[in-house]
Amino acid sequence: MIAIKKSDEDELTVAYKEIAIQKEENEKLLAALKIAKNELAFQIEEKGKRAEELSIANKELVFQNDEKEKRAAELTIANKELAFQNNEKEKRAAELTIANKELAFQNDEKEKRAAELTIANKELAFQNEEKEKRAAELGIANKELAFQNEEKEKRAAELIIANKELLAFTYISSHDLQEPLRKIQTFVTILLENENENLSESGKNNFQRMQLAAGRMQQLIDDLLAFSRISTTELTLEKTDLNKIIEEVKTELRDTIQEKQATIEATELCPANIIVFQFRQLMYNLISNALKFSNPAIPAHIIVKSRIVKVSKLNNENLSPEKNYCYITVKDNGIGFEPHFSERIFEVFQKLHGKDEYAGTGIGLAIVKKIAENHNGTITATSELNKGAQFDIYIPA
Amino acid sequence: MFESMMMNTNPQITPLNILFADDDVDDRFFFEKALREIPIASNLTTVIDGEHLMDYLSENIEQLPDVLFLDLSMPRKSGFECLSEIRENIKLNDMPVVMYSTSYTSDKNYEESMIDVLFKMGAQGFIRKPGDFAKLKQVIHDELVMMFEKKSINQN
Repeated sequence: MIAIKKSDEDELTVAYKEIAIQKEENEKLLAALKIAKNELAFQIEEKGKRAEELSIANKELVFQNDEKEKRAAELTIANKELAFQNNEKEKRAAELTIANKELAFQNDEKEKRAAELTIANKELAFQNEEKEKRAAELGIANKELAFQNEEKEKRAAELIIANKELLAFTYISSHDLQEPLRKIQTFVTILLENENENLSESGKNNFQRMQLAAGRMQQLIDDLLAFSRISTTELTLEKTDLNKIIEEVKTELRDTIQEKQATIEATELCPANIIVFQFRQLMYNLISNALKFSNPAIPAHIIVKSRIVKVSKLNNENLSPEKNYCYITVKDNGIGFEPHFSERIFEVFQKLHGKDEYAGTGIGLAIVKKIAENHNGTITATSELNKGAQFDIYIPA
Repeated sequence: MFESMMMNTNPQITPLNILFADDDVDDRFFFEKALREIPIASNLTTVIDGEHLMDYLSENIEQLPDVLFLDLSMPRKSGFECLSEIRENIKLNDMPVVMYSTSYTSDKNYEESMIDVLFKMGAQGFIRKPGDFAKLKQVIHDELVMMFEKKSINQN
C-alpha cells in the first residue's frame, strides 16, 4: 500500500477535491439550516398569532351562527307567510287568467268593431268630402241669392214708392177729378133746364152728348178707384158658402138675367176662404160679363162649379204644389173671344169691342184678376170665338 | 164774411133760416139756386170755410139758424171738426146739422161707414152732391121736408 502508484495519486487528488467540495457543501447546508431554523421560529410565532386570531374569529363565527339561527327561524315564519301569500296569488292568478280570457275575447270583438268602424269612417270621410264640395257650391249659390235678394229689396223699395204715387193718384182722381166733373154735369143740367127755349136742337143735342161723355168719365173714375182700392183694402179671409155669394149676385143682376132669359146653374158649391165683399165683386163681374157677352140668338146659360183639388197635377207655376185649392169655374155659352186674347182681357182698359157695341170701361176683368191674386190665387180664361168662354179660378182652400 | 138773402118770400109762412158752409163758389151757387127754386120759404146765409162758420155761430149765438148745411171738406177747419165743436157746445147743441159731402160714389162701404160716423157724431142728415141739378133740388127739398115736417113748411 505504501507503494502508491501514479494513478493512485490522481485518485487521491480527486478524493481530496471531492472532500473539499463536500465540506463546502456541508457548510452551505449548515448555513441554510440556520436560516431554516430562524424561518421556523418566525413561522411558529406567526402561527401563535394566527391561532389567537382564529380563536377570535371562531368566537365571532359562533355569534354569527347564533344570529343566523335566529334569522333562519324568522325566515321560516316569513316563508310560511310567503307560502300563504303565494297560494293567494295563485288563486288570484287563476281568476286573472279567466278575466284575461274574457278580455281577450272582448278585445277580439273590439278589433272586429274597430275594423267595421274604420270602414264606416272611410265612408264618412268620403261623404264629408262630398258635402264639403256641395257646401262650397251652396256657398256660391248663396252669394248669388244674396245678390238677387239685394236686387229684389231695391225693387221692393222702388215698388213702395210707386205704390205711394198710385195712392196719391187715387186721391187726386177721387177728389180733384171727380169734383170738376160733377160741376160740369150739374151746369149741363142747369143749361138744359133753364136755357131750353134758347138752345137750338143741335145745341141741345151737343149738350146731351156732353152729358153722356161726362157720365162715361164718371164711370171710368169710379171703376179706376174700385180697381186701385182692391189692393189697399184690409184683407180678412172668411170661410164662406159660395152658393150664398152666387144667390146675392143673382139677386143684384135679376133684371139683366130676365132680359137675357138667362139660366145660371150653380149647385153644390164648396165653401171657400174668401174676402167676402171682394169675392162677391169677382163673381158679380164674371157673371155680368157672361150676361153682357151672351149670344143674342140663344138664351144665355151660365154654369158655376167648384171643387177642392190638389194643384200639383195642374202644373201652374203661380200656385204651390201639394196644397189644396178651391177650383171654381164660370162657363158661358156666349160670343166668346179669340184664344190669343185670353191674357189681354185681364189688363186694365183692354176691350175687345167698341163702346157702342158693348158698354164698359175695360176694368171689370182687371178687377177680377186683382181679386184672385189678392186671395193668393190665379184666374185664367179659355175661349174660342162664338163658342162661349170659361174662367178658371184657383184660390187656396 | 157772409151774405144773406131772402129766398122765397111768402108772407103767410115764416121762412126757414138756413146757414150754408162751403168753400167752393160753384157749390154755393148751386145750393143758392136750388134753394131759390124749391117751394120752401127760406133765408140763406153762406160762409166760406169752417173757421168763418164757427165765428159766425159765436157771433149769432142768440139767433141760430134753423138748420146748418155743412160741407165736409173745407180748408182751415173741416166739416168734421165743425160738427164735433158744435155738438160739444151746449149752446149750439140743438141746432140741426145736415152734412153736405163731395162724392164717394164708387166706394159704398167707405161712404156708409162715414155716414154712420157722422150720425153718431150728431148729424141729422147727409147729402151727397149729385151731378144733376134737378136731383140736387130734390135732395135738398126732401131733407128740409123730413126735418121740418111738423112745422108744415111744405107749401105744395
